[in-house]
Amino acid sequence: MPLVRKPANHSPGAKPDASEVLQLLASSSTDERWAAARAAADVVGGISAIAAALPTEHDSRVREAMFTSLARHATAESMDALIGLLRSDSANLRTGALDTLRILAGAAPGLLPRLLSDADADVRILSCELARSLPSAEATHLLCVLLAAEQEINVCAAAVDVLAEVGSSDALATLNECARRFGESPFIAFAIEIVIHRITSQSTPARA
Amino acid sequence: MPEFPALTEEEFRRLCEYLYRRSGMIFTEAKRYYVERRVHERMSATGSASFASYFACLRINARGENEHFINALTVNETYFYREKHQLRCLTTDLLAERIREKRKGEAIRIWSVPCSTGEEPFSVAMWLLENWPRVDDYEIEIVGSDIDTKVLEQANAGIFGKRSLMRLSPDLVERYFSPMPEERWMILDDLRHSVQFSAVNIVEPGDTRIHGHFDVIFCRNVLIYFDDASRRIAAENLYENLLPGGFICLGHTESMSRISPLFEVRRFADAIVYQRPAGGPD
Repeated sequence: MPLVRKPANHSPGAKPDASEVLQLLASSSTDERWAAARAAADVVGGISAIAAALPTEHDSRVREAMFTSLARHATAESMDALIGLLRSDSANLRTGALDTLRILAGAAPGLLPRLLSDADADVRILSCELARSLPSAEATHLLCVLLAAEQEINVCAAAVDVLAEVGSSDALATLNECARRFGESPFIAFAIEIVIHRITSQSTPARA
Repeated sequence: MPEFPALTEEEFRRLCEYLYRRSGMIFTEAKRYYVERRVHERMSATGSASFASYFACLRINARGENEHFINALTVNETYFYREKHQLRCLTTDLLAERIREKRKGEAIRIWSVPCSTGEEPFSVAMWLLENWPRVDDYEIEIVGSDIDTKVLEQANAGIFGKRSLMRLSPDLVERYFSPMPEERWMILDDLRHSVQFSAVNIVEPGDTRIHGHFDVIFCRNVLIYFDDASRRIAAENLYENLLPGGFICLGHTESMSRISPLFEVRRFADAIVYQRPAGGPD
């Protein structure tokens, strides 16, 4: 029979030590940077080293490994690094940071209120999307707080879009008020009308 | 099962959007009856009084409800020659590409992970023996791995019930199995001893790395159950386990593109599979 059976254990190769891992984040070898990006999250100083290396990392796979490493630890340091990247000029970095923050949002209760009140409207727009992964009551509350005071119509539109999936009847008054405030915009009125229809057509309000 | 009202159009749309975002599975109005039945089954099992309360429970994954619901939708069970189109793709396209870089007699490594009770890795072995004319030209190594050591014991024993064999022709059953009492069959020793079984947690790099590099990995219907962080870690581990140019086959409802940009999508006549690019980090 041409099928062969061999011992399953292969040598994974020598593991670099902590200081070596941090140095390898700046290696000229893509393989070494990839390995370092994967290992750095478990090394003291690794999160800040990844945060420093990410903006200049040109290989998309190494960047991906860096984001995954940040996603493994919901620490203030990793979140600060990711929030900083939300302001980046690079769409790749913004998207990568947003995807990673989405993973961390559930594990870091203070994260979303902070982002939704950021001075930068673009950060607020991106952050609305993070509410989608939260329980309905929590997401509805956070987005309603935002909608009640928000002056930027595009931020409101982003929040309304998320409420279409997660919103409960607790959002109805705020949505109506938002539609009234932006009465001159047919788009926002139409979007809110759809969300209200969705929420009111549910048999019982979702509370979880 | 108690009587539940039909989902409203909006409820159905909400659910489908959620399912797509969470798992990549697409359901349209044409599948409403199928989906609705599963929703009602799960509402009954979870004691949910309304769709809204069930949907809330699903969204926060209360008591692992995501896994239960996806299980109900995907009818997840293992049997020989399941998703045969991927096996056809293996011999028609994937191995044809892999052997372009190999000399006669070199090793071809195939990994079935998770392999559950062994139906998949044994299917790969049987399929190659039956359908790949070059099978004698290479050293083919098949590894089956799972996190659950109990299923690995069963896989090693090589004894299967009627349901596991339901897609095999009587001729194949006769040639590869010997009958046992109580409608059970034991796979031939030659075949049983040709598959190496091992324990692995695919989100643990230390576990996956010791398995070495593979030409083809079958990783079906497992990533769909992981949370986002675990999925990304698993995808990176599997990437490392593939040789450059190697392929990974997922379940038919799964999409690697939604999990990780590390792989390239390859569309073959029989299946869509994902490939580790020939260049890139090791």
